[in-house]
Amino acid sequence: MTDPVPDYTGRDGRLELSAPATPEILELVHAMMAHLWTTHEVTAQQRVRFETSVIEILGNIVEHALVGSAPGDGRRFDIVLDVGRDDVVARLGDNGIPVEMDLSKATMPDELAEDGRGLALAKAALDSLSYRRIDGRNLWDLVVLRGGS
Amino acid sequence: MTEFGVETRADGVGVVTPEGRLNMVSARRLREVLVGLVERGTSRIVVDLGETTFVDSSGLGALIGGLKTARQAGGDLRVARVSPAVLSVFELTNLDRILRPRPSVDGAFDD
Repeated sequence: MTDPVPDYTGRDGRLELSAPATPEILELVHAMMAHLWTTHEVTAQQRVRFETSVIEILGNIVEHALVGSAPGDGRRFDIVLDVGRDDVVARLGDNGIPVEMDLSKATMPDELAEDGRGLALAKAALDSLSYRRIDGRNLWDLVVLRGGS
Repeated sequence: MTEFGVETRADGVGVVTPEGRLNMVSARRLREVLVGLVERGTSRIVVDLGETTFVDSSGLGALIGGLKTARQAGGDLRVARVSPAVLSVFELTNLDRILRPRPSVDGAFDD
């Protein structure tokens, strides 16, 4: 998959948040996305694909942030969300440990598995998902195209 | 904040109704509720998703965990009244084949 990295320059309607990487922060990110849908016409299918993927990646960040760390040790994330003319995009960054996985190998586990679906679900729901490690930070770019279903 | 309605009907079927979003926070609670029901002898369970607006992979994991626990106790877990948004997450993960959504809570154990 070719992974276009969204350019946030000129995306004046974007929403941004920087916060501790805790499970409780998920509700605030849900609220940010709900706000996006009040100001842009995005189909129900595109909304659910985007929301599910953002929460999966954020959940992954929160879980990694919690591994081997005590509460309040400075693990944070930031998120930028925007609806453009052609796409709905999110960039999530965090200062956690590097993610050791190959996105191209993220596949659905056995049907009766109780975990391990998050990244495969995000990949299936998005038009593009990319991960990079830059300057000690994990960066995730998520794209749903508005022209599709 | 997700609330859980829990009741056991006269026919012995437990009905769990998560209200709001099933994510990594509330999925933990759902697991506890489902295991608690089975431990108290209610192994036929309907999870009524009619009031559930969002499910992520943690929520799916809790449902699969509940299904396995119920089946090990000789019962089953069925899901009912699934919204189009939640159904699309079932379909993306192919879990619509395992958690075959039923249209109503009352008829969820008819087959």
